[in-house]
Amino acid sequence: MTEDETIDASMPVTGQSRMDAAWGSESSEQASVAQPVAQTGQVFEQVYVPWEGSLNPRWMRNWAIFRHHVLGIVRKGHRPWGVPTKLVLIFVLIASMTDVALTLLFAVIGEPSLYELWGVGRNNLYGHILGFFPRNMLYYPLVAALLVGGVISEDRSNGTSALYFSRPINRFDYVGMKYLAVATIQAFIIIGTLFLYYFVDILAMGRGWAWILDTFPLFLTTVFCGLLLVMTYTSIGLALSSVSRGKFFPGIALLALLLGTKTLAAIVEGLFDRSILYLISPYDSVAHVGQALIGTNVVYDHPWIWSLASVVAINAVSLYVLSVRVSSMEVTRE
Amino acid sequence: MASDLIIETNELTKSYGPHVALDKLSIKVEQGATGLLGPNGAGKSTFFKTILGLIQATSGEGKVLGHDIRTEGLAIRSKIGYMPEYDALDENMDAIHQVRYSGELLGMNPVVAMSRAHTAMEYVGLGELRYRPISSFSTGMKQATKLACSIIHDPQLIIADEPSNGLDADSREAMLVTLSNMVHSGNRSVLMASHLMDDVERVCQNIVLLHKGKLAAQGRIEDLKAIDREIEIHVWGMASELEQALGKEGLEVRREGRMMRIRHDGEKTTHRILKCAAETGAQIRRMHEYEASLEDLFIVIMERFGYGVKSSEDLLASPAEARKVDAPESMGGSGA
Repeated sequence: MTEDETIDASMPVTGQSRMDAAWGSESSEQASVAQPVAQTGQVFEQVYVPWEGSLNPRWMRNWAIFRHHVLGIVRKGHRPWGVPTKLVLIFVLIASMTDVALTLLFAVIGEPSLYELWGVGRNNLYGHILGFFPRNMLYYPLVAALLVGGVISEDRSNGTSALYFSRPINRFDYVGMKYLAVATIQAFIIIGTLFLYYFVDILAMGRGWAWILDTFPLFLTTVFCGLLLVMTYTSIGLALSSVSRGKFFPGIALLALLLGTKTLAAIVEGLFDRSILYLISPYDSVAHVGQALIGTNVVYDHPWIWSLASVVAINAVSLYVLSVRVSSMEVTRE
Repeated sequence: MASDLIIETNELTKSYGPHVALDKLSIKVEQGATGLLGPNGAGKSTFFKTILGLIQATSGEGKVLGHDIRTEGLAIRSKIGYMPEYDALDENMDAIHQVRYSGELLGMNPVVAMSRAHTAMEYVGLGELRYRPISSFSTGMKQATKLACSIIHDPQLIIADEPSNGLDADSREAMLVTLSNMVHSGNRSVLMASHLMDDVERVCQNIVLLHKGKLAAQGRIEDLKAIDREIEIHVWGMASELEQALGKEGLEVRREGRMMRIRHDGEKTTHRILKCAAETGAQIRRMHEYEASLEDLFIVIMERFGYGVKSSEDLLASPAEARKVDAPESMGGSGA
């Protein structure tokens, strides 16, 4: 037995080993001592393992933030979204596809009058994105409220902002990727189902290029309005999340803001027959712009360009609040 | 700037309006373990933020691992591992995924990050617990998880802010051993802020002491202790007379009952003590060199700033006590 060898539990018990252990050497010239593999009382052997790899550039870090938030909806190991949030997302996703299902159904069974009711058209495209009841009264604000709730505020309360900012991540990337992640999930439900609706109509009714060329600009305009809606809800929601430390307040505040401003404007319109106060309602401002661009009946008295200005102003103020609050987030303590 | 320095600042100043948080700091931190000490409000957090490139210095310059703190913050943060003092973990995540995510945030691809997360968790002693949610962890386990997050990319420098804060004896021991191993067997550097002198003394060879944004002391602990060399004597009878005689002899004496500590003042200090004892008739039953602790060193340095503090705990741990301690009027403060 050489000096380098050690005696441990895995070693076969042979006469030679016993002799080595008992006498410490197999010959008078060669010393051999049993050596412990770990120190006394040590549960594990602490060995520092260096890493020779190299770190990827900025896009990979940004992708990590985006992926962490989006994949958390469907996979464990990423951002842990709550079960109620996941259930509501599934419900709203299915509910947003009712027009898809009915289009498919009436196209397949060949019922033209019912198909006309549900098929792709100017009003139905508008309704898919900007219809008030039930979509913008129940579904989309609720989805936005559940998504934005803790996205920024939890980093403040958990102290996980230190995890981001002590790494090579700047605040623009941090807030940008969170914004993009929340907007993507909303867009998947709102605009993704619009895509499905449009393409199911093409496939089910066997539409030709003429119909597609005729309706595609309208479809793109609706997609633009959907993006405007998603951006507005996300901007307001994240701004509220950035001023809070919990996830309840931002969610409730977003719902109150969206539905409260509309209710107030509706009351004023009912009393004074003036629609101007709808400018303070984020939903109505986007809806007004949508009506003007898509070409459905405009239900507001004031010019649509005012509503567009209102949408821009609401987003600008929200993003300003968001950027100011995120720039004040600490690394050393919160 | 010398290449063996991991942190070097030159006249580094950071002001928030009229308040000067860092006042012309010129610090040199060598490879190995360095303790960063200072009362609350000394500027430790501002110093960290400045060297991480998160805030811009008002004036002065600095380099961390050879990178300019004013322009290369991202490169610095890629090469260091920062372990914050406060909770910085998502309680709803499993520990392994939290550590993996911290690696991804540095730019590791998910597969590599997961592999390294296993290694890091194993290293900090949480190998068997890595799939448990963080919410079920004790404070010690959370601290270890934070350490795993900070070492996942094998950084050259680990900045640990109060790593043993709130830990029980066993967890504290494990944390200190782990940090020591990183320095000694891992050949990495540690900059450790702590208010526990014993912890700093166990892990670090060097200290940097800040006070009110200024550098109070820096260097090897052993070297700094030399400024506080004392001779301890145990006296039998005539203690008061001996104390007076030593004072007249020009020696600085600290007395507690029959035990006195006399500041070392040259090679003939022992001879002068014995001479005073012979003159006063006091019996010296024991005489030996007193080995100062870091705690003693801290108190001596603070005394030189004009503060009468009894222990570092008063000053470092309690914000209320720290606020009470201000520079004396003669030094431009409002008085202690």
